[in-house]
Amino acid sequence: MTEAADTSIAARPARAPRRAPDDLPFTFVDAALLAGIEAARGEPDWLREDRAAALARFESLAVEANRLYTPYVDLRAASLDGAPPYLATGDAVAADKTEADDAISGEIELAEDAVAIATIEPAAAAAGVRLMTLGELVRRDPDLARRLLVDDPVLPANDKLAWLGRAAWTQGVVLHVPAGVRIERPVVLRWAVGAARTLIGRTLIVLEEGAEASVVEELVASGRAEPGAQALLSLTTEIRLGAHARLALGSLQETGPDQVVFQQRVARLGEAADLRWALAQLGARLVRSRVDNVLAGDRSVVEQVEIVFGAGEQLHDLTSYTRHVGRDTTGQLLSKGVLLDKARAYMKGLITIDKTAIGTDSFLGEFGMNLSKAARSVAIPSLEIDQPDCRRAAHSSSVGPIDEAQLFYLESRGIPPDEARKFIVLGFLEPVVARVPLEEARDRLREALEVKWAAGTGSAGAAGAVAATAA
Amino acid sequence: MSTTRDLVRDERDQYAFHDDIVYLRETKRGLTRETVEEISRFKDEPDWMLQFRLRAYDHFVKRKMPTWGGRLADIDFDKIVYYRKPSEREEKSWDDVPEQIKATFEKLGIPEAERKFLAGVGAQYDSEVVYHSVREELSKIGVVFMGTDQALKEYPEIFRKYFGTVVPPEDNKFAALNSAVWSGGSFVYVPKGVEVPLPLQAYFRINGENTGQFERTLIVVDEGAKVHYIEGCTAPIYATDSLHAAVVEVIALAGSKVRYTTIQNWSNDVYNLVTKRAHAHANSTVEWVDANTGSRLTMKYPAIYLRGEGARAEVISVAVAGKGQHQDTGAKAVHLAPNTTSRIVSKSVSKDGGRATYRGQLKVAPGATGVTASVRCDALMLDDQSRSDTYPYIDIAEDDTTMTHEATVGKISADQVFYLMSRGLTENEAQNLIIQGFLEVFTKELPMEYAIEFNRLVKLEMEGSLG
Repeated sequence: MTEAADTSIAARPARAPRRAPDDLPFTFVDAALLAGIEAARGEPDWLREDRAAALARFESLAVEANRLYTPYVDLRAASLDGAPPYLATGDAVAADKTEADDAISGEIELAEDAVAIATIEPAAAAAGVRLMTLGELVRRDPDLARRLLVDDPVLPANDKLAWLGRAAWTQGVVLHVPAGVRIERPVVLRWAVGAARTLIGRTLIVLEEGAEASVVEELVASGRAEPGAQALLSLTTEIRLGAHARLALGSLQETGPDQVVFQQRVARLGEAADLRWALAQLGARLVRSRVDNVLAGDRSVVEQVEIVFGAGEQLHDLTSYTRHVGRDTTGQLLSKGVLLDKARAYMKGLITIDKTAIGTDSFLGEFGMNLSKAARSVAIPSLEIDQPDCRRAAHSSSVGPIDEAQLFYLESRGIPPDEARKFIVLGFLEPVVARVPLEEARDRLREALEVKWAAGTGSAGAAGAVAATAA
Repeated sequence: MSTTRDLVRDERDQYAFHDDIVYLRETKRGLTRETVEEISRFKDEPDWMLQFRLRAYDHFVKRKMPTWGGRLADIDFDKIVYYRKPSEREEKSWDDVPEQIKATFEKLGIPEAERKFLAGVGAQYDSEVVYHSVREELSKIGVVFMGTDQALKEYPEIFRKYFGTVVPPEDNKFAALNSAVWSGGSFVYVPKGVEVPLPLQAYFRINGENTGQFERTLIVVDEGAKVHYIEGCTAPIYATDSLHAAVVEVIALAGSKVRYTTIQNWSNDVYNLVTKRAHAHANSTVEWVDANTGSRLTMKYPAIYLRGEGARAEVISVAVAGKGQHQDTGAKAVHLAPNTTSRIVSKSVSKDGGRATYRGQLKVAPGATGVTASVRCDALMLDDQSRSDTYPYIDIAEDDTTMTHEATVGKISADQVFYLMSRGLTENEAQNLIIQGFLEVFTKELPMEYAIEFNRLVKLEMEGSLG
């Protein structure tokens, strides 16, 4: 028996070594890539040095820095060596695309390696608001660029993919709002991707003391995808809020089926600063996302609401860290997932309450709805607490099917079962939709959810019908 | 809460004791293949057990130390004595137990407990079971309760059928270590349909500097049978580190009911690294009731694999972490069959710089339809030198699971203390009462004299300010 097994192993043709779940799905990030970026972009010395230092950091780190989560990292769905990174990217704007839109205060659209739209309302520009690509900022205001990009780092020391962004970004956006300036209407930042390339981007949102802004980030398909050819968008977003600054940020991720998305977001909040995240994940084949909120200032507040709507074989791997440092800070974090087909969602969250964080109020909720027998949801809502003198430190989590009582109620009002199920699921996800700070984007998100529901119910509806018959 | 007030003092060393025992047999310090062979030879074991031990030893050597959980770097495997035998043979009657050992047990009150209330006593002194008795009525109805070594000789078929099937040696490094050098522990077999009316209890003790204790407990409860097993631990205080790496395997066959209660109070130099796991077959119920107040570091996550339809699991876990202690405890429920239910309740108290960690896993495998599961974790922190962590893993791969999880961390409510003080209690009395109430979910599950003992333990922990 043993001999037979040995023979068959020996007879098997040589295969490529199997990839571990946390092996990076590309090999092109190295010093040669940085040399290529430098040659294409011609950047100042300080930026080249910063890239080199960040690359060293990137190379020294593991994909999953947190021992708690090492069993729940899986990058095997991505294979990106066929998607070479863009080196040079545009930062000039075609003049005919800069007309204003009444609903928004500014807009930047980055389509693959080009800049499709870059516009800001004159009043905001006059108040000193800067909204432009990073390349343009480096050229036009190197002192500010250096301060924002290098001198005042907020990146988590252990987030490998965030350091990838800092080392190898070739496209980026900056929104800088001076002290006391309030931007009336949302700013839209749109990334359109899908061609079989890798785009590494960096977004900086800096609100000085007392500034206010709202941002809608849209990650969409560019229409240049080739079926079956994977693409990568790796986006590192750094947010700094000065004292009493307020930011609302809504993000819609609805990229194409062959897209891989890495998102690293970090926010540092000053005294009494206020940050509202509304994050929606619909698209891509694989998403690995990490959000770090650092509540450094006393009385700062973060609210983070995140939804996943997964179908097919999508994997959404979402981690959220919230660290309370200042006194009387508030964290309100909610993640919700609805899964169809063979979709998987990993919702990992960690609240850390430092010894200094007296009077903290922190809540983390992770809720899942598996609508298919093959779907899988993982929730790891964790707490690490060094200061017991808090208003609240709690988490809550649940996974369950569609509530039969709700379904019965809606059906008793004459709503057909399929319609009723849709209402309940979309209602479950509505808390994020309602928080997106732009009506047009809200409508788009609702529509995208409905379309995905309609596309997915081929299997989910059938499973539901079986369940209903069995009941 | 004020950081200057001496809220809690640890006075347990006043209650520790140590007897000078002449060991009849012991292995050299450190672990080699020869040590493993020597232990097996001492015990005159069948060859399959020697092979099992050697397979485990090989895995232990290969397996890396876990890098999660508590700090394990200070364990020096070369300093540990892996086997010690304090007396030549197992005793059936209390009168035959050597006087010195008897005197130690008198301090623990074991004969008292046995006379008054308990069905059987299996007391472990270091590495061998020295005293064992089962009441006649139990023997008559076929209940087997004896040392694991003895069971290997007297019940070889049932032993071999179940031993190592719930926790294989390759499960983790410390299960491998236990499998290589195990000695002592309890073996329980309850035949079909038999309900054991009173709890079976065993006392485990470590005595002897740098003695590792590696007991192995195997409990097989046949169809429709019912048993409650209790273990409690005490150990003297020593300056260097002791290691306790036990493995407990429970097999609950169809329709049976098993409760396993532990009160763990090792001294503060003991590493308590225990693998406890049960297989719950159809319509059986398995309950782990687990309290951890002692040890330097405990890493213990009683697990239940729900393998048969309609099986039920319940874990009540309580931890108190004081100065220099890390209680990394929790529970694991793995649903592998339809219509299974689990409930996990965890309560922890941390104080004087202690660290209490809840680490748990709830898993619903594909095919396990109609699962209902709940997890509840509450933590009290008595001062801001202490730390509390909660790491629940919830992994659901079915579409009709109903799972809820809640966790809170906080301090003793000033309002509650104020209210009780307004009713005439002192501040310390009020705090003690609140802690007792917080832990009541555990104490109310204990037999009376254990509830008293546990309350005394907690009071010892709190002595000086809360008592």
